[in-house]
Parts: sequence; structure tokens; C-alpha cells
Amino acid sequence: MRTAPPVITFTPEPPPACGAKALAEVQNMVRACMQCGTCSGSCPNAFAMDLTPRQMWRMLLFGLAHEVLHSRTFWLCSACYSCTLRCPRGLPLTSAMAALKRLAAAEPDFASHRKALFYEEFMHNVEKRGRVRETELMLHYFAGMRDPLLPLKYTPLGLKLLRKGKLHLGGAPGAGRVSGLGPLFAKVRSMEAGT
Amino acid sequence: MKKQYGALVVGAGIGGMRSALDLAETGQKVALIDARPSMGGILTQLDHQFPSDHCGMCKMLPLTQRDQSSQYCLRKGFFHKNIDIYLHTELTALEGDPGKFHATLSRRSTFVDPTRCVSCGLCAEVCPVRVPNEFNAGLGQRTAAYLPVPHNIANHYVVDLDNCLRCWRCFEACPTQAIDFKFKEREDFHVLVVSADEELTRTLPEWLKKENFPLHFTTSGEDGLALLSEGLDVKLLLLDLDLHAAEAERTLRRALELRPGLAIVLLAGPDKQDAAAELLKLGARETLAKPLERATAVPRLDKLFMRLVSDEALDLEVGAVILAAGFECFNPAEVPCGSADLLLYGQHPGVLTSLEFERLLSSTGPSAGSLVRPGDGKPLRRIAWLQCVGSRDVKLKADFCSSICCMISIKEAMLAKRHTRGEAEATIFYMDMRTSGRDYQRYRDEAETGAGVRFVPARPHSILPGPEGDLLIQYYDYSGELKEEIFDALVLAVGARPPKSMARLALAAGVDLNESGFCATRPLAPNRTSRLGVFAAGAFGEPADIRGSLIQAGAAAMGASRMMRVYHGPRDETPEAEPKYTDVSREAPRVLMALCTSCPTLERNVDTALLRSRMAVLPGVVRVADVPRACTREGWELLRQEAEAVKPNRVLIGACMPYMHVPRLRDLGEALSLNPALMDVVDIHTATFAGAGAEKTVRTEETASLLGMAAAKLLGADPSPQAQATPVAPQALVVGGGLAGMTAAMGIADQGYKVVLVEELEQLGGLAMNLRATLEGDDPVRFMEDLIEQVEKNPNIRVLKDSRVVLSRGRAGRFLTVVATGEGVAHSLHHGATILATGGHETKVYEYGNRVHKCVLTQMELEQRLADGSVDAARLGGVAMIQCWRSRDESRNYCSRVCCQSALKNLLLLKKRNPGLPVFVFYRDIMSTGFSERFYTEARRTGAVFIRYTPENRPKVTFVDDKPVIVALDPVLGAEIEVHPDLLALSSGVEPNDVSELAELFGVGLTPDGFYQEAENKWRPVDFLKHGVFACGLGLAPATMREAILSAKAAAQRAVRILSEKSLSCGNAVAEVRHSLCSRCGRCITVCPYGARSLDLARDSITVDEQLCQGCGSCMAVCPNSATVLRGFRDEQVMAMIDAAVARPPHGTQGAEPNPQSAPAQPAHMGG
Repeated sequence: MRTAPPVITFTPEPPPACGAKALAEVQNMVRACMQCGTCSGSCPNAFAMDLTPRQMWRMLLFGLAHEVLHSRTFWLCSACYSCTLRCPRGLPLTSAMAALKRLAAAEPDFASHRKALFYEEFMHNVEKRGRVRETELMLHYFAGMRDPLLPLKYTPLGLKLLRKGKLHLGGAPGAGRVSGLGPLFAKVRSMEAGT
Repeated sequence: MKKQYGALVVGAGIGGMRSALDLAETGQKVALIDARPSMGGILTQLDHQFPSDHCGMCKMLPLTQRDQSSQYCLRKGFFHKNIDIYLHTELTALEGDPGKFHATLSRRSTFVDPTRCVSCGLCAEVCPVRVPNEFNAGLGQRTAAYLPVPHNIANHYVVDLDNCLRCWRCFEACPTQAIDFKFKEREDFHVLVVSADEELTRTLPEWLKKENFPLHFTTSGEDGLALLSEGLDVKLLLLDLDLHAAEAERTLRRALELRPGLAIVLLAGPDKQDAAAELLKLGARETLAKPLERATAVPRLDKLFMRLVSDEALDLEVGAVILAAGFECFNPAEVPCGSADLLLYGQHPGVLTSLEFERLLSSTGPSAGSLVRPGDGKPLRRIAWLQCVGSRDVKLKADFCSSICCMISIKEAMLAKRHTRGEAEATIFYMDMRTSGRDYQRYRDEAETGAGVRFVPARPHSILPGPEGDLLIQYYDYSGELKEEIFDALVLAVGARPPKSMARLALAAGVDLNESGFCATRPLAPNRTSRLGVFAAGAFGEPADIRGSLIQAGAAAMGASRMMRVYHGPRDETPEAEPKYTDVSREAPRVLMALCTSCPTLERNVDTALLRSRMAVLPGVVRVADVPRACTREGWELLRQEAEAVKPNRVLIGACMPYMHVPRLRDLGEALSLNPALMDVVDIHTATFAGAGAEKTVRTEETASLLGMAAAKLLGADPSPQAQATPVAPQALVVGGGLAGMTAAMGIADQGYKVVLVEELEQLGGLAMNLRATLEGDDPVRFMEDLIEQVEKNPNIRVLKDSRVVLSRGRAGRFLTVVATGEGVAHSLHHGATILATGGHETKVYEYGNRVHKCVLTQMELEQRLADGSVDAARLGGVAMIQCWRSRDESRNYCSRVCCQSALKNLLLLKKRNPGLPVFVFYRDIMSTGFSERFYTEARRTGAVFIRYTPENRPKVTFVDDKPVIVALDPVLGAEIEVHPDLLALSSGVEPNDVSELAELFGVGLTPDGFYQEAENKWRPVDFLKHGVFACGLGLAPATMREAILSAKAAAQRAVRILSEKSLSCGNAVAEVRHSLCSRCGRCITVCPYGARSLDLARDSITVDEQLCQGCGSCMAVCPNSATVLRGFRDEQVMAMIDAAVARPPHGTQGAEPNPQSAPAQPAHMGG
């Protein structure tokens, strides 16, 4: 699962697309980290991450932006705030995770884009329906990923959900549409554009 | 009339005691106060101290003139001729200026008369209250009538009024009427109630009927004031705020004008809280919520009455003040969110604080010393320690390191191992193991490799209830692997916090606090607070261990002593007249035996008539007298009169608690001009408690045998006058003219004694001259220049540069030393005390390209190059630092203390000049103890990368194009990293200067690393075993400037202690050698714990330094020929005591024949 990173040498890396400044902001959030590992231990999703949060912060401080932005660690953050609550240094770790998501989404390469796609589709769905409609979300996601084999990979999970009644099939494409969320999303977009 | 003292010491923990002793020994009168009802501070609760894992507190006791103070376990109690102790007392105000402060103290009554309490415990038996027991750190419960410290001697119960239910059961149970609930005073306690509330007027007399207070009711403020001005002696005014607001305020103001200090209690409904708060500021005492409830209001008024009539306000006039209020342990339960839940503290019985664990190990603890889990009693075999709980946590406002917890945890792990004969598994989870003291790293290594304590660099994140009441601890190890382990107990290494009363005390004393809430001190004047004349001792200014606290306390005492000298001029030079004792060596023994009959228990358990007649026929006894209540002043007065009539030359008193009477013996000795060594006190009461089931005759026998033994011992006491005292040469010699040497010299010279300062080089200053900045931002260059100027201009200091000591002879009080100067002139000096401050230097090692490549510097070189501009931070592409380069390994296994601080200092300066500069620090443990932790946090914040390495896996340095390339393993990522900086700074550490010759000249020891070996690592940190010689500065232990200054000041005060004496005389119990029997085997020399014995080669005999000998008797036990004898404990005496102990009268007869082997008897039976 976790592969040891190669020898790290401190030759300056080209800054990521999001810019050196944005990266520095995230670095500033975690600078006072002393690698105690409380965040890794507290994280309920750490088992699925390729880098533990501690390793990721460490790499970020070493300036290994590329490796960090291509890891799946921050994408798996479910913003439960356990690490932020427990960090003895009082670092805003959940905010830093979110900032990394934003940075990675802005990366031009496909690998980063792919992971951001789910989040995008999720919010689209919410904007359109006021809630998530799982079948529709997955359809859009599969379409966006342009990978014909991907739906097969999700089939077992889908069946499991279906059996438990967690997956709602049916419903006309137009049904359940809500209006009125538009201004809210517009405001968020204008705020994001401003930062 | 105000009592006058030289100094007031606030806090009677070890810091306060050390300060008080340091001043008292130089003849100053000291008032020592403590808010607790007991002395000893936190150390009464800790039975073991590392590295010996024993207690050694008694080593603090005075070595010279030791008969002036207590000479037994300091954890049990303490007294000194010049120290007045006020317990349960707080400082409430401090006015005036240095030299003449007016201190106001408030002494809270304990409601138990210590002269009557016989510690029988009946009050505690009947008390229905149960509150957490503070002494056992909250494990277990105590009653409201309780013993604060169970092992104190002269131990008296106290009543904790705050938790008392006012049921009066203890009052009824007390057999000696020691509990005083002020029954009589109630009749005169007039209470004036100003209220228009009819309900109140009706119910209150009914409610307070039992309390017996005279009540007066008025409906308006005016009427009430009229009563006051008429002269009604009102002690308490209850003021109803339902009166018109202006009227209430006017009444309060006017009442306080009429009766300043009158206690006024406000009766305020929920809507009047704001008004009440205003009036509290105007001088009202407290508020009672309306409508009053009988169950709460009546006990509160009763307790208020008790406080008002019992508590005292004391006014003292003092020259200087020392604050030593210590610290408190962080309480994880107090954190509003997070810590308690996450750590399961208070929710799982297996989660303990380090203090609670220490209590568990103690035989006076809740489990009587068996290491079991509170609650289910499971033996603790798998124990984990979690470091930095409440320290180094910005979220808990603790951006500081408590400095003590690492060593406490290692000690506790070792104790747990020893307690279970190695069976217990001990694991310490840590972030940095701060073994920053001189010998601490060795202790850690011993724990790790010798005892098998496991050290895990990780911070467990989840503590969960495990199977069978155990704990499941989850943590990520450094390789990023999630681990789960089961433990029986988790000990939280709780950090230090300022005492709870800190805000109040700081306000009363008028001193500033720092951002962490401790007393603010300045790094280069670390014993001073923000107020002139007020000093900080112990852990009051910064968390410190025992050694640090005592050094700080010594420095504070030096500051106070100097202050008194500056403001009062030279002390009155007529010394107190030495008591003159009659020489009774040629008289036949005449023993006066006095039996205290105050306690009814004696009468009940012992046939006193039989006892008296048995005693009367003992050899030498001329009179057996009854003294009612020997514990009171009247009793002693009677005893004195009796003695004046009988004219005895030995006095034996049978009473309780012998230790308590020792200071009184001295007074009696002066009154009778009889040496106190010829008097003794025997405990005849404990024996009667112990054999509760035994017959009266058996107990009488027991008591008779105790008294008989003491009488036999007194008969054999050597009555010859003591040896001549050594006159003291009032001059000190300080060897080494660096920071510590100069500070020590100033400390002595400022107190009016001559000092000769010997420096090997041609200028003063030493190593500190190389420093350009301190971590805290002071200017060391200017500081050193000022200090040198002061030293050179001081008329009391004679500086000999380019000189060295070539010869030294003599002992404390009278040394003769020859100093040779560079020009070949030899000065011979007479001096009373010596301070060795020979300092150290930065270690010179030629590795890692140091001195080969220009890009490799030591931290000190980097500091200088940054200061003079030859290293330009803006032009550098990267800097690497390697810590512990040559410290903490096999060859020099100690932490050099200064390297982490100078690395942080240089790092912050580099980052300040060039914020984008990449800095990499390779470290083992960052030792930023105390408040320097915040600079570590700051350094991390600047973006410097800290990479931990282990001794097995040191960073590798190679050079490419004359630039360093460092390859190391980053343990977090598990990857090799390679750094190409422009500059490599090495923390090479410090070494003591080579002083082997000097050490031999002065007869002092060195550690394996070449530092001075002090007498005792913790308790006598600046003393040598050789009396009269002291050490300080870098030669004693690696030290920052702050620490060097502190140890120098502490050493100066120790030296002044000797110089302040006109002559030094020895104690009563001193070892002597019978040279004709001595075979010079030398076993007594090695066994002597005080270094008092030596082999005089010239005379071929063993000599005893009477100043140093503390009369412990080790030499006597080890001597194969009985050639060594202890004055006061001769073999004949001990044999006679054994005879007396086993002597039994013929059955059925009264009295026995005098023992034929004993000295001639004087069988004059004069009654009794």
C-alpha cells in the first residue's frame, strides 16, 4: 500500500500550477508541526490513505508539493475535525486538508482532476436536487471519468447498497428538481473567485 | 507592635526552606509562611527522588552550628533558631520599600489548639464529612478534621472549615478539649440586620437560635447606623439590598467609616447581583443569595463567625521578601473540553497522574504501598507513561516545557520495576526525552539498557477501555504503522502550573507575571522579580526540579541578603552572646527526671506511682518531678523552677514527641547554664498507645525501661566542655574570573566581605565573552562589560589576573592559599571560604570537516560570524545544523545544555534576516526546557525542518565542491534525505576546563566527565563534600548564562554563611579517634558520607574534621577495633542503655536495686 518515497534531495521543485503562494499558505498552516503523529492516529480514514497525515505534512514541509498533491490522503479527509481538536500545537489541520483539495482541483493534469471530479459532481447534484441522488451522481461521475470499466468496479458496492435500500432507483430526470439554491451557490462561487 | 524580620519567605516547600535556612544561618531572622497547614510543599507527597531513588531532604540541613536547628527528617518537620514558621498563612499585602517592607499576613485558624491536641484521631473518627484527600492526590478520602501530612512529627489535627458540616461531633469527641469552636465568643457576636423584609425578621431569630448570636433588627439603614454610632459592638452587618439602592450604598459606606474593617454581608436577590458586585468592591465581605435558605445560610453565617473571631491578621516589618510558592501539577480533569475525555482521566481507574502514581507507590499512600489499580485492585504490571500532558501544548496555553516530568517518569518507571522485582513492563511515550541535566542522560541510559524501560517516541492518540478493565492504547510509531497495546495503567506525566493562588499572591506582593502565569524574572537577573527587594525562589519563576529549585532558592537568598545589607548598612557587629555552660565534668551526676502528666492517657495506662518509685532509685536520679503539661510554656516554667531548686547537672524529661521539645531544651540550657547535650526528652506516651490490649503492669514496665535507658545514656554523656571553635578569616577566594566567578565575587563583596578573584588569563570574562546574543534577546556583550567594570571597581574585590593557585591548606573558616602571578610574585591569602568557578570551553573536535572546510562552523562561531556580518544570511542558499554532535554519547555522556538553545538562537536570527532560507536541524531530542520551549515553537513556525536521528544512525556528511552534503534518514517518511546546504553548523557542546590539579589542591572530587562533583546532586548542588569549598558555573555542570548566574549566587550565599560567623564550632555528637587502637585500615574514610575523615600521612593517623562530621556513626559501626568513638554515643553508654532496657525489678517488689555497674548513685529520693 504505502511505498517508501525515494531519496529526497532538496533541489528546488517547479511550483505547482496553483502557484507558490497558495502552497506557502498551506505550509504556513502546518509549520509548527512537530511530527507527534496525533493527527494520523486520530484520523478515522487513515487506513485508506496512501500517506498518513503526519507523513503528508512532513512532505509538505520538505517542499514535496508534487507528491503531496498526487496523494489521495487529503481527498479522503471527511472533515471530522478530530485531528484539529487533538493537535497539541493547535494547528488548523482540517482547514489545511481542505486547502489542499482546492489546490489539487486547480491542477491541470488529469490525475488530480479525476479526484476532484467526484466532489464536483456531488455538489452539482446537490445544487440540482437539494440532496444527493446516488444513481444520478454515479452516472455523471462515470461519464466524467471516461473509463468504461469503472462502473464494473463499483457494481458489488452498488448491489450491497441496493439490498439495504440505500440506493434509490427511478425517478424521472426532471423530478425532484429544486430551485432557489442558485443564489447560494452563486454567492459561494463569487467568494471562491475572490480568494 | 510589629514583629521585625530580616526577610519574609512565602512558601515553605524545599525552595522556601532553602532560602530561609540560607538567611537564618547567616544570623538573619526569617519569617517563613505557607498557605498549607503543613510544611514541605509537594515533596511531602513524594517519597523517592532520582537518581538515588531515595529521599535525601535532610542533607539540606545546616552542617555548621547544627544544634540550632532540627536534625532529623525534614519531611517530618523543621525548626531553626532564627526562623519563625507561620502555617496556614497567606500574604495579603506588601507595602513600603526594600529594606523596610510592611507585610500583612492573614493566618487562618485551624480551630485545633496544637498545645492540647494529642493526635488521638477521635475527631476524624466521628467526622461525617468525606472529601478527596489532597495528600494522596485525590486518591482516597479524608474527613474535615484531619491530619494534613500523616508523617509529620508534632502532628496535629486541623479542621477544614470550608468542608465542615458544623455538626460539632468532633468537638464533643475530643478528649483534651483541643477543638475550639468559639462557644463563649458567640454571646458577644452582635449581628445587625438591616432589612425591611418581614419574613426575614421573623425567621432569622428562629434559625440562628442555636448559634446564640445576639441579633438586632432595623428596617432602615439610618436606624442601623444610629445603633452603630451609639456604640453597639456590632461584629457583623447583614445588609439587605432590597433597600433603596442609594440607601444600601450609603449605609455601607457610613458603616465602614464608623467601623473600619466591619464584616458586611449583602443579602441580594437574583436581580440585585450587579448592585452586589459594586458594593463588594466598596468593601462588603460577601453576598448571600435571597431568599435565604436555612440549610445553606446558617452554616455559612456560622463559618463566617468562626473565621471572623479566629483568623488573625499579622503585621510584619521585613527587609526583603522571597516568593517561593512553588507550582501545582496540571489537572487534566480541569480542561473544559478535550483532554479529560481523550485521555480517559477520571473515567477509567487505570489512568493516573504522575502524582497519583507516586502516592500509590508510597507506604503512606491509599494502597499502603502496594502497586495496584485503584478501583479493582489489579496489580499493575504493564504500565505506560504519557509525556507532555499539560506541557508543550499551545492549546492549553502551555507553550513551555515543565522540565521535570521526563525525569519523574523515568524515575517512576524505575521504581515500578524495583517495586515488582523487575516484573513490571514500563513504557514511556514521549516527544522529546529531556534529560538536560548533567547526569540525567546516564540515568536514562541506565533505565533503558539496565532496567529495560522501553522508550517510544510517539504520542498515543486514542486511549480506550480495554478488556477486563485494562486500557487499550493506540499509537502510530515513527514508521507510520498503527500499533495497539494493552496496559494495566497509564500514567499521565502532568506538567507544572502556577499555583492556584498566584493571581492573588502576585497582586499582594506587587510582582508581574509572565505569559505562562509564572512569576516574571529576567534571564540575566534570574532571582529578581519585577519589584525591587522581592525575589523568586524555587520553581516560582520557572518550573524546575529539586536541584534547580534549590539553586534558585540560594540565589534568591543571596539577593535578599544583599538587599538587607544595602539598605541597613553593615549588620550590628556585636554577635549574640554564646551561651556559657558550666563545666560539670568534675561533678557527680545529678539527674532531674520530669514526667509530663498532662494527658489522661498516661494515668489510665500506667501505674504512675510505681513508675515514679522505680525511677527514683535509678543511679544518679536526685528527683522525680511531675510536670503538668510539659508542652506548654507554663509547664516549662515549672520545670525551670524545679531545676533551679534541685540544681541538677542532667535533665531527663518524659513527655511526648521528643523532637518538638529540642528547641526548648536549648532555652532551658541557657537558663540553667547547662549544656543541652546533658538533657534529653523521652517519648513515654507512644508506648502506652501501642500496647492497647496489654496489662497495666506490662505498660508500666515498658515505660520504665524507656526512661531507664535514657537515664543510663545521660549518665554516660561526656560533660566536658566542647572543643575550641575555629576563628573565621572574613575573606573569600574565588578561582575563575568568568561570568560565574565574577557574579559570585560580587555577591560576596556586596555583603561586605573581602574577596580575592584569581583569573588564569590576562583579562576577565571567560567563555561568556564569546556570546553575542541570548535566546531571550538580551545583550550579553554589554552585560559582561558592565560586570567586569563593577568587579574591577569594587573596593572589596582584589583581582589577580594571569595568576594561578599553587597551594592550599586548611579547612572551612581558615584556609591558607598561595597564588602565583605571571610576574612570579606569590601571594599568600588567608580566607574563610573558597568558590571554584573555573568554567569550561566549547569542545574542539576535528570531525565532519570542521577546521578543514570553511563552510563548517561551530554554533558559537556561527553566532559570532552572524554578529560581525561575515556570514550574510541573505546570500546563503541553505543552512544545516547537527545537534548533539559530541554530546550524549559514550565518551561524553551528558547533555551540554547550551547547544539546543544556541541553535535556536542562530536559527531564529538567520530566519529573521532571510525568511526564505531553508534550514535543516538534525537532532536527537530538542532540549528547550522551561520557557525556551516557545523559541522552539517559533523556530518550527519559521519553517525550519527538524529531522530526528538516533545515535546508531547519525547523519553522514560528505563534501562536494567544498560544500557539505548531508545524508540522513527521515524517520517520519522512512526515506533517506539529502541536503545540500551552503553552511553546516555543528553543536559541539561544552566541556569543563581541566581542573584535575586544582581539584587535588583543594581536596574536591570530579565526575568522570571532569565536572566538579558536588556533595549531593540534588540537595547540596553547589557544596563540595569538603566544607567551605563551593562550586558554580560551567565547571559544575553545563549551564546557560542564566543557570551560571544562579549557581554563582547560590554559591556566594553559601560562602557568606561561613564568612558571617566569627568562629565555627562543631556539634555535640562528633566522632573521635583513639589513635592507640586505630590500625589505619581506612575503612572509616570510605564509609563516611560527609568526607569528614582523612588519613594524615605526616602524623600517620586518622583525623576527623569536626565541622564536617555530622555524628551519623557510620565510622563507629565499621571500625573493627572500636577505635572510633562518637561523643554522646560511646560504647559504654550504649551498653548501659541495653542493660537498662532489659533490667526488670524482682517480681512483686516496688523498685529495684541500683545497677551496680553504673556510675555512683545519689539515691536521695526527694519526692515526686
